[in-house]
Amino acid sequence: MFRRLTLLLCGMLLALAAPAAAQAKTFYWISHGSPADPVWTYFLAGAKQWAADTGQTVNTSFHNGDVPSHQEAVRAAIAAKADGIVTTSPDPGSLIEVVKEAKAAGIPIINFNTPDPKAAFDAYVGGDNTTFGRHWAQYLVDKGLVKSGDFVWLPVEVPGATYGVQEEEGIASVFKPLEITWEVTDSTLDQAEIISRMVDYLTANRTKIKAVIGLGDLVTGSIKRVFDQVGVKPGEIPVVGWGNSLDTTQEVLTGYVNAAQWQDPQATSYVALSLAAMASGGVPPGFNVITGALYEKDTAAVYDKILSGK
Amino acid sequence: MEHRSIVHRLVAKPEFGPLVLLVVELAVFWAINPEFLSPQNISNTLAFTVELGLIALAMTLLMTSGEFDLSVGSVFGFAPVLMWTLFNSGAAPLEVGFVAALAVAALIGLVNGWFVTGLKIPSFLVTLGMLLVVRGTALFITDGFPQRTWNTGGNWLAWLLAGDFFVGGFRIYMSLFWFIAAALAMGYVLNQTKAGNWIQAAGGNPGAARARGVRVGRTKIALFVLSSMMAALAGVISSVRTSAANPNSGTGYELEVIAMVVIGGTALSGGRGTILGTVLGIFILRVMRNGIVLIGVPGLAYNIFIGAIILGMMALHSWLERRHQAGT
Repeated sequence: MFRRLTLLLCGMLLALAAPAAAQAKTFYWISHGSPADPVWTYFLAGAKQWAADTGQTVNTSFHNGDVPSHQEAVRAAIAAKADGIVTTSPDPGSLIEVVKEAKAAGIPIINFNTPDPKAAFDAYVGGDNTTFGRHWAQYLVDKGLVKSGDFVWLPVEVPGATYGVQEEEGIASVFKPLEITWEVTDSTLDQAEIISRMVDYLTANRTKIKAVIGLGDLVTGSIKRVFDQVGVKPGEIPVVGWGNSLDTTQEVLTGYVNAAQWQDPQATSYVALSLAAMASGGVPPGFNVITGALYEKDTAAVYDKILSGK
Repeated sequence: MEHRSIVHRLVAKPEFGPLVLLVVELAVFWAINPEFLSPQNISNTLAFTVELGLIALAMTLLMTSGEFDLSVGSVFGFAPVLMWTLFNSGAAPLEVGFVAALAVAALIGLVNGWFVTGLKIPSFLVTLGMLLVVRGTALFITDGFPQRTWNTGGNWLAWLLAGDFFVGGFRIYMSLFWFIAAALAMGYVLNQTKAGNWIQAAGGNPGAARARGVRVGRTKIALFVLSSMMAALAGVISSVRTSAANPNSGTGYELEVIAMVVIGGTALSGGRGTILGTVLGIFILRVMRNGIVLIGVPGLAYNIFIGAIILGMMALHSWLERRHQAGT
């Protein structure tokens, strides 16, 4: 009796699921980020929300900057005959071949978060790190917070990673002509270690540092704790940088950070998947979508509200 | 003659090498930048040092028994995530969350110990597997989002674990007292009690120890539990101090902690351990990390100097150890 009932229930479930399965498409969302990096949790939330809103299936994976693993995931999506792929670029030029393979298989492939113009993606959705870096440096100069001959500190979680390198290029384009010097320091991805190393550096160089540019979300989000530990008052040393975490929105609201960069993480994932679905339906995207905004105290509450899910 | 004998006895102690290293390190950094020994810098260095130190103390006992635990870093990240998830979701008060986190950590240690002693699997493999299980669990239950811990103001437990106060220019964290208490307790256990003899016997010659009635398996299981619980305590303290409980916290701590224990003079193969040496090893490594920043090493050259100094210190340590062995 029980066995028959079980079979009946399974049959009913299959009958209910079959039409839905026929309609739902499967998309692959592939990130070079870390699942523990706060900003990536928001990117992931955007992908999940898109899946919930549209009823489509989104398979997600993180690859921690590992290029072979990332390429393998894209190839797995191609082998699984995905309806569309949205992927970041772990390294400029690293996905040229797999993008060709996806296109040869007739699968739309959208680039998001980190641009890679060398690969023939259908479209790009996200910010431009070089431009962000240039904006941060220009902000400090335009507001009179740094001048020729000054020194600026650039802490970063992962030195040499694409995001920091591109941001530094943008910063250099403003600072070099003005003879403003800077130093990038390695802060790691571990919260306690970040605070420890930043406190050490600030203690050693407090009189020299005229401004700070946080090249990543974790370092910028640690400013309050670092300043409090060293005894630096809010506003005493100007700070700009990334602002995709609640820690940073709070720091902007309380005056520890002057301006922070919003990257629209949820929206970036959402729009990238929408473009992939559109391309899968036969409408190719002929444009890129550039996201991001630099916010100050007057608008920080908007982003604080988004990040806290209120 | 009496004076020479005191000096000789001091030099013959296994902790003499690490002590010399630490003194040299302090002198060099202080000579290059006098700010190195300022109250503010000493306070900052102590804040994080003692958190890692709590793990290193328990690891010393475990390594003396011939085992080691690679999952401590992930437990350091997981325990506060669990505690703050329970608290922030309103499921439990902070005190209950804290006890629950320690209890789960004890369970993790128990499983580690049972796999090692019951199933006879090397602790390297067991705790490597557990590292991934625990880290993955922390990520899964949080969806990767860090737990916010900024609402601890006024809570007695948070203050007891990681509160701070000023003595002159020094900012003293409560975690320092936890560290001192743990060091004294573990030093006493290792050197003055029957349990300490069992720990050393279990690591030195487990077969002979069993033949003499030492409960080698139970001793090791207890030490795995202790190791996990200390990692959990350190993680919770760190989360309160840094106002962050990130599932990714503690990554790589296991190797740093093992390095601290070995530099302090505990044998990697077991059988011989020293809590005092570990305390010195903890300070040698953390002071070095602080000092090279203060003397102005270029930011991106940080790891070059850390690696080179560790190699140099290990060479010096090995030389001092050989001299010590030759002299006894």
